[in-house]
Amino acid sequence: MIIEVDNLHKSFKGQPVLDGVSFTVNAGETLVILGESGTGKSVLLKHMIGLLKPDRGSVKIEGEEITSLREKRLLKIRQKMGYMFQEGALYDFMNVYENIAFPLREHTVLSAEEISAKIYELLELIDLKDVASKYPSELSGGMKKRVALARSMVLGSKVLFCDEPTSGLDPIRSRDISDLIKQVSREKKCTTIITSHDMKNSFRIADRLLLLRNGKIVLMGKEENFVNSSDSFVREFVD
Amino acid sequence: MSTIISHITNTILAIGESFWFLVDVLRNICLGRIRIGEVLKQMYEQGIQSIIIIALTSLASGVVLALQSSVVLERFGAKEFIAPLVALSLVRELSPVFTALIFSGKAGARITAELGAMNVNSQILATRTMGVDPIEFLVLPRFLGCFLVLPVLTVFSELVGIFGGYMIGVYEANVPSTFYINQTIDSIRYVDFFSGFFKVFFFSILIGWTCCFQGYVARGGSLGVGRFTTKAVAFSYIFVIISNTLLTKLILVYWG
Repeated sequence: MIIEVDNLHKSFKGQPVLDGVSFTVNAGETLVILGESGTGKSVLLKHMIGLLKPDRGSVKIEGEEITSLREKRLLKIRQKMGYMFQEGALYDFMNVYENIAFPLREHTVLSAEEISAKIYELLELIDLKDVASKYPSELSGGMKKRVALARSMVLGSKVLFCDEPTSGLDPIRSRDISDLIKQVSREKKCTTIITSHDMKNSFRIADRLLLLRNGKIVLMGKEENFVNSSDSFVREFVD
Repeated sequence: MSTIISHITNTILAIGESFWFLVDVLRNICLGRIRIGEVLKQMYEQGIQSIIIIALTSLASGVVLALQSSVVLERFGAKEFIAPLVALSLVRELSPVFTALIFSGKAGARITAELGAMNVNSQILATRTMGVDPIEFLVLPRFLGCFLVLPVLTVFSELVGIFGGYMIGVYEANVPSTFYINQTIDSIRYVDFFSGFFKVFFFSILIGWTCCFQGYVARGGSLGVGRFTTKAVAFSYIFVIISNTLLTKLILVYWG
């Protein structure tokens, strides 16, 4: 397994958000974390990349416990991971090309030509070859998400985290971005963890799914486990 | 009662956080993690943004100072002292303080608004997820830009102010041009120039620290960015005014 979450607890101002969450993610697997809005999906994801410290519990990435690490070490570990934010979080003072090139310029010694080749290969993959010189403010929501996906994958990350990649998109764009994530994950052979409340697209791309409610796991399993579940909340969520 | 205690606790925590923030910035500087290109870009942007309004304010200060002093000094038959009065007032006090205040309102507000917008749009968080320290990449260039450009702007302000005084002294009060220039040069001693300059270094640290920190911790969407920007400018003004009073006393005691 590549990620191991054990008995994770987190509260904000006395309000528990995660209440003893434990699960593992295998290498190359695509896991979708489901749940209602405000149920702690993004908080869980942020713990898994070390952006938040838990009150209790542990998170291991490739066997290394990350909850007690200092930011300097976490910055190193995060170079092996990609994180796609809900709204893209692209630098608005950089154009698309510079945004995608940023991690390469920071962490590799590639020449300008090599960086350019890599970026255009990724832009081709996300079908946005013509927007390299555009700024984020000139892009649609779907385009921003695709550029954010390219930026999070440009270093060839082993693990890709996607926070609500389909939120705010129409059904066709939601399907396209879900398929793109699946395609990129397969091509780059990375482990993918996605938060979502979009059941239809989650079933399309997930190897396993995890349903959160009130900070606890209600069900974790494959699509058939969810479809055949007799739990009223699971049924309500699936339907 | 509990609200007061919670307010005091939050204030103490915020002060502590802002000190750690400054320590982190200074640590990065000491470790040489300085992106020269980014610093130069910030110096250019902060300088260009403030230069016109600083020129106007400085020119007006020099002109008004010369106009007022020419009237008052003439009463005592000491019109020839317009030049030293204008020059010393500007170099020792007015230019450093005015420049710092204008810079806070223009470049300082911009720093806070930029960092604040990046924060509420998760760009600062995204920097961390990409394995890059946001203090090094986003904060330090702005802080250093402020530290380096404010002294330059102050010298510029002093020169423009003195020029304003010269125009009035020579063309309005009819002081001979050469005499005015010689009086100005002779009156400014090293201690006068460096006492003003010394203050500016403190002001630039205070403004850079305050504005970067308020932007870095801004939250609450676009309304929050506005609130934190206003707070940054208000704090910068207060810090400049209070530190100016203390530094003036200190300089007078030790340097004269």
